[in-house]
Amino acid sequence: MQAPALRWQVPSGQAIAGFGVAGAAGILVLYPIFYLMQAALDVGDPDARPPTAYGLGNFEALPQYSEIMLNTLTVSLAATVMALLFGFVTAWILSRTNVPGRRTLEQLMAVPYYMTPLLGAFAWSLLGAPESGFVNQVWRALGGENALINLVTPFGIAWVMALFEGSVAFVMIGAVMKSMDPALEEASQVIGASRLRTMLRVTLPLVAPGVLGAAILVFAEMLGSFSAALVLGNPDRFYVVTTAMYQLVSQYPPRIPLAAAMGVSLFAVMFLMLFLYRRLIAGRSYVTISGKAFRPRVMDVGRLRWLLFAVCVFYVLLSVALPLMTLAFASVQKIAVAFPAASNWTLANYQTAFTMNAVRAALGNSLLLGVATASIGVVLMGLISWLIYRSRLPGSGFIEYLVMFPQAVPRLVFAFGMMWAWIVFPIPIYGTLWLLLIAYLTVFLPLGVRTISGVMLQIDKSLEECAQMCGAPWGYRIRTVTMPLLCPGLLAAWLLLFIASVRELGASILLMGPNAKVVTPTIVESWFATSAELTAAMALIQTLVIAIAMVVFLALTRRASMYAGE
Amino acid sequence: MEPLSPEDGKRAAAAPEAAIPRTHIEIENLEIRYGPVPAVKGISFRVRAGEQLTLLGPSGCGKTTTLRAIAGLERPSAGAIRIGGETMYASAEGINIPAEKRGLSMVFQSYAIWPHMTVFENVAYGLRVRRKSRHEILTRVREALALVQMAPYENRPASALSGGQQQRVALARACVFQPSVLLFDEPLSNLDAKLRADMRIELRELQHRLGITSVYVTHDLEEALAMSDRIVVMRDGNIEQIGSPTEIYNLPRNAFVADFIGSSNLIAGQLRPDLASDGLIALETSAGQVVHGVAHGRAVPPEPVFSVRTVYLRLSFERPAGLRNVWPVRVHHCVFQGDFSQVNVTWGDRDLVVRSAALEPIPEGRDAFLSVEPRHCVLIEGS
Repeated sequence: MQAPALRWQVPSGQAIAGFGVAGAAGILVLYPIFYLMQAALDVGDPDARPPTAYGLGNFEALPQYSEIMLNTLTVSLAATVMALLFGFVTAWILSRTNVPGRRTLEQLMAVPYYMTPLLGAFAWSLLGAPESGFVNQVWRALGGENALINLVTPFGIAWVMALFEGSVAFVMIGAVMKSMDPALEEASQVIGASRLRTMLRVTLPLVAPGVLGAAILVFAEMLGSFSAALVLGNPDRFYVVTTAMYQLVSQYPPRIPLAAAMGVSLFAVMFLMLFLYRRLIAGRSYVTISGKAFRPRVMDVGRLRWLLFAVCVFYVLLSVALPLMTLAFASVQKIAVAFPAASNWTLANYQTAFTMNAVRAALGNSLLLGVATASIGVVLMGLISWLIYRSRLPGSGFIEYLVMFPQAVPRLVFAFGMMWAWIVFPIPIYGTLWLLLIAYLTVFLPLGVRTISGVMLQIDKSLEECAQMCGAPWGYRIRTVTMPLLCPGLLAAWLLLFIASVRELGASILLMGPNAKVVTPTIVESWFATSAELTAAMALIQTLVIAIAMVVFLALTRRASMYAGE
Repeated sequence: MEPLSPEDGKRAAAAPEAAIPRTHIEIENLEIRYGPVPAVKGISFRVRAGEQLTLLGPSGCGKTTTLRAIAGLERPSAGAIRIGGETMYASAEGINIPAEKRGLSMVFQSYAIWPHMTVFENVAYGLRVRRKSRHEILTRVREALALVQMAPYENRPASALSGGQQQRVALARACVFQPSVLLFDEPLSNLDAKLRADMRIELRELQHRLGITSVYVTHDLEEALAMSDRIVVMRDGNIEQIGSPTEIYNLPRNAFVADFIGSSNLIAGQLRPDLASDGLIALETSAGQVVHGVAHGRAVPPEPVFSVRTVYLRLSFERPAGLRNVWPVRVHHCVFQGDFSQVNVTWGDRDLVVRSAALEPIPEGRDAFLSVEPRHCVLIEGS
């Protein structure tokens, strides 16, 4: 009599919640991918859905656009090289030399990542446009001729992306340099090798996999980047794959299958890169990461350290301070010039930004979406993390793979699949905020799951098991032990998701409907349709919202690390 | 509360006839796999009511996995686990009661003290789960804290405790709701040596006072010998021997136990029934020495081996009279190790290790006599 009742308690709440959540994640990720593939293989009547004929015709047409592919590769390669240079130099300075103010600099180095490439593109366009750019105006005022720099060029795109991705490279390379056991180098010196020989034969080979990993990851991100190329490339009709896709979808008549084929190709290349990256990470067990915290050997560089200090500060200035100041400077002028007359100053741009209905509605929508994405996302992604790392339900490894999948797909490409998928969905959510909510929840799955699981893995498993041994059922355990311990981590994930949603562009620009606008695409529209000054004001307002969320986030992560020592 | 099952009735009827002390935990052909890899390979043993049983073995032998299966934290692949007559797991009937419903308690290796609660809240947790009254919680938590001498720390945040204090709180938390069984997963391994020795005694006393059935996992031999009523020695997912600490120490069943528990010399030889007398058996080694020992009712394998504890071997400079096992040897090496000296002697064509409490270091190269009582030469079973 007792046995059947007990047998039912095993698949209880846990398993139902687990499989439900896994199923939801599976649909979110795979449904759009399916439609992306379908569109790419559609060679039939362009107006008929589902497709009337399948074939590889769209892919065979791609070589006609080889220039776009070449553009993408050139820009990505140039940006990767520059970003790695920034990242490597600053990482080396901050982890291996006695540069002053190391701790503060290290925190500052993460800030560029929270600036968007879009902001950078606006600012560097204002600074470096051949005619109106502030730098060139100053140059001419000093007696120079023509333009000193021109950043509305492929180089400009690479430059803006490199400044932004430099901080990613810094974090990755810095982590490798810090985790390297100084004994490995000391051993070489004890044997009698010179400093240079040690550097060449021991240090570099040890750091190389980390640098290569950073290179692959940064390059993959560059391939999928969109906003800088849109702002700095489109005026001169210079297209990369993402901007070309956007063009093909938004022109009339749209060329959906061709765009889909481009998207699939880009996705294939990125997938390959990330696969290589994972292989590299998995195969580098012989390197330095041993779970122990080392105090890396710090080199005394004497007076040179002030120069190195200046190098780091200069990077932060170029990537954060200068763009923000440029936008602020432009936003309070009627027509942005380098040497404004007294009559040129105005606050009208801010007033317009706050009073224009379209902008207010877009900002409101974005905040609403940000809150909704973050709140639903934390629950969904928290459950997924728990499922992957804590439950012993079968198939959790597969779920992890599935959830991390959107990382390999540029957001624009993913949004393309969603657009195509949800247009034919029986419930009319296309063009509403609901579709954007679904899109955000999907594309931010890797971000949310990684953040939450990072905190979850720091919490000793036996803390939960002990509650179980004390007789607490699943729900009670989650409520009294798991949740309170995860709380700071969940709040941090909430804020990250909020920030990411509020500044999202690649997916929103394709999926946003005319009656459900969000803020970043509206800002981009304003850049091309109205004025740079108004756009600067709008971008700064958005940045301020994000900055406030950031400050709260930092305060919370500091609290989260308090528990981690247990 | 729950309807009585037919088994309950049977148990009640059978209880008076059952041997005293009665069995409290019964493990039957327990098998645990991780994928295709078996971690525990079909083991069976019983824990008597009120007994302290220790699972002892090198790391990776399956002892912690077995404990976690008893707790319900690990799902076995086959076999049965019964506690207090109730089936907790049975592969045949498809029963697997979740950990929280088994009414056991556990002390974890990492203590698992919840850092977001105070000491009081940590200890009160199990009582709050059981919806005890506020008054009862207060009295019982105070009692439990007093038991482990942590009463003054009641309102401390748990994250502000030292390792030893956390250990005590974990213990109080585990006993406070009077579980039927206490499980210990290497609870002392994170403490420093001195504190570990103190806690060992305290734990043992506490266990006696509460009279609670407990299963203890450790890889530390001294801990196992000092704390257990009985020891289960495990290796590679199998049980090598079950017995009281003295049984395990004096009568190791095989070469692994002889070697893992303390240090032993293994002496192989040919059986010489013609030289045996007084119920002893005699082996002749390849170098011709004859060793008398005991078989303890064990069947003599084709290649018999004696296990001789290093501490039972005696060195003397005059030939001891009236003993059976006496051989001339040469001291080959002597290392002073504090409480004892480890002496290697050349004995025929091989070395034997002797642990001697002698204070004087023995000069190397000196001739001496080695002797051992036959009852300390124990025949081990073939592998």
